[in-house]
Amino acid sequence: MSKGPARAAALGLILVLGCGDSGAAPEDPDGGVDPQSWEWNLPEDVPRPRVPDDNPMSFAKVELGRFLFYDTRMSGNLTQSCASCHKQELAFTDGLARAVGSTDEVHPRSAMSVVNSGYAATLNWANDAIVRLERQALGPMFEVDPVVELGLNEITEEEFLQRFRDDERYRDLFAEAFPDEVDPISVDSITKALAAFQRQLTSFNAKVDRWQRGDTTALNESEQRGAALFFGGTNAAGVPDALECFHCHGGFLFSQSLDEEMNVFDQSTFLNNGLYNLDELGSYPPGNEGLFDMTADPRDKGAFKPPSLRNIEVTAPYMHDGSIETLEEVLDHYARGGRLIEEGPLAGDGFNNPNKSSFLNGFELTEQEREDVLAFLRALTDDDLLTNPAFSDPFAE
Amino acid sequence: MRMIVITVAALAVAGLGCGDSSDNIGGMGGDGGTGGTAGTGGTGGGAAAIDVSIEFVGKVNGADFVCGDVYDGLGTSDSSLEFSDFRFFLQDVALRNDQGEYVPVELDATSGFQTDEVVMIDFEDACGMGTVETWTTVTGTLPEGDYQGLRFTMGVPFAENHDNPATAPPPLNVVAMFWSWQAGYKFLRIDSGDFSETDWRMHLGSTGCDGDPIAGGTTSCLNPNRVEEVEFETFLLEEDRVVADIGSLVADSDLENDLGEDPGCMGKPTDLDCGPLFENLGLPFDGTGGGAQSFFTIE
Repeated sequence: MSKGPARAAALGLILVLGCGDSGAAPEDPDGGVDPQSWEWNLPEDVPRPRVPDDNPMSFAKVELGRFLFYDTRMSGNLTQSCASCHKQELAFTDGLARAVGSTDEVHPRSAMSVVNSGYAATLNWANDAIVRLERQALGPMFEVDPVVELGLNEITEEEFLQRFRDDERYRDLFAEAFPDEVDPISVDSITKALAAFQRQLTSFNAKVDRWQRGDTTALNESEQRGAALFFGGTNAAGVPDALECFHCHGGFLFSQSLDEEMNVFDQSTFLNNGLYNLDELGSYPPGNEGLFDMTADPRDKGAFKPPSLRNIEVTAPYMHDGSIETLEEVLDHYARGGRLIEEGPLAGDGFNNPNKSSFLNGFELTEQEREDVLAFLRALTDDDLLTNPAFSDPFAE
Repeated sequence: MRMIVITVAALAVAGLGCGDSSDNIGGMGGDGGTGGTAGTGGTGGGAAAIDVSIEFVGKVNGADFVCGDVYDGLGTSDSSLEFSDFRFFLQDVALRNDQGEYVPVELDATSGFQTDEVVMIDFEDACGMGTVETWTTVTGTLPEGDYQGLRFTMGVPFAENHDNPATAPPPLNVVAMFWSWQAGYKFLRIDSGDFSETDWRMHLGSTGCDGDPIAGGTTSCLNPNRVEEVEFETFLLEEDRVVADIGSLVADSDLENDLGEDPGCMGKPTDLDCGPLFENLGLPFDGTGGGAQSFFTIE
């Protein structure tokens, strides 16, 4: 994706403006936490996510976002909330191969984790256009294509907002979160509060993190050997960087598609990992061909964002369409360098997909090496995330 | 009208805060823009203004569009459809003066269906999932003079198209026209039936749009999909109306046998059903075509 010099100019402007960061004065005169303030709860080695100038963080806004995230009033027919497809115990995924919307339509894609989504260069599986959580929220709320998700298109905006106006708790939450707004209960406030909640929904406390921060006991020997293979080590067959995992899943996010507060480059990334190969163009199943669905450029067939591997153990099934059930099978897929489907309408050898990433060359692993890599991937699970009360359903309290 | 007042107030508040990064993007106009309305005589100064209204009429194969009615003989398979939505956006509406120059109509932004920049023509009356109110006339002012000849573009200008719809003024806050997957608006929306997974529909907007994670907005779209500069050289304000005929739009489409993943055409560059529809809008599809449109006529 070539991005022109216009971007650098825009960036310069933003840096010069340097608009207000949060983190100031958490204490209010009564000694409690000022709801209008904000403090990041991030390890020192993790940068802050980028926060749009028009949506500064605050404790009040995050709290409103948390209520909205878990509220079925966010769907047209009152059956689903954001959390219906983004469950905390599954690292905010749903355990399904393909997500199911509020009107029971089956989405062609698997629900992505929203954990650390404030750091994604682009949201969604393969959409270059959606780069802000505020704008992303409008998709599941109102879109009907490819399927209805929350189905708020089924009711009027007034009817939707009235649900919150009629609730005293929400009147207070919105007023606290948007104290400068004349009428704080609006679609704009809702998308901003959801974005703020998700920006602080971070996860950087896996065993791997503790090990990288110097705790030499955090990873056992098998996990350490797996880490070495993941990060470019030579396998038993004598091939240096045999696995090449980190090229697409590197950095603190374990995804190359990364943005953060100090980042100056567009690092949006879309790659083909050889799941399908229906014809000589490297086609994927129609209507679900990744970036190609946006650009119609045949070279973009099968190009999807490499997702973060954090908490990957608990986000099965895998891939954009949930077509691989287990982590073991994912590793076997990469070991083969593409998936062979021998018969049926999806027949084809993904190994030969003409658009396949050059990093997917296949590799050999001994049984022990395979176990080591899997152990390392499981060490990316952050147990705190799965149970942290700050991220949990406030209606269950 | 309460909703409108609220939105304006919210905009004013937002304007006080830190610079919205989208300001930096809007000017880039990466999709080639609209070619502008160059050579206008200007509407400023002390020149007296005249009120103008340009009437649009929705039709289906020559019969007046009535939301919820069933129409026969559509497309190449003589299909029957019950239409439940018919709305589109216009920009750059201009009339030609006696100097031969196109003068942009200064739009009246008080109705809720028009901003300074766009008009939403709305033929549906909530027979489906829309709004009871309809809007079929472009209203505004022009400098005093003699005008004949009409030009407009079906679309939303780049800057407005990619700005935040949650804070946009009406009609750009009408959720049914959000095109959220491409961070823009539907320029045209036609639905049939009750929007089940098999009901034919056509939605059109810019596609192949990128995003800039650093500045936070769209800088360009591969396929702007605006129906540019529809022109009628002899258009008499007092006598003529613009006809938008769904029958003409779908004339070369087989509405029975869907070729793509969506029913009808959801504007995607990969959906083959869009080909003949784009053709009749004068839009290129799959890198080819793009000529005269046949959706709009005058009567």
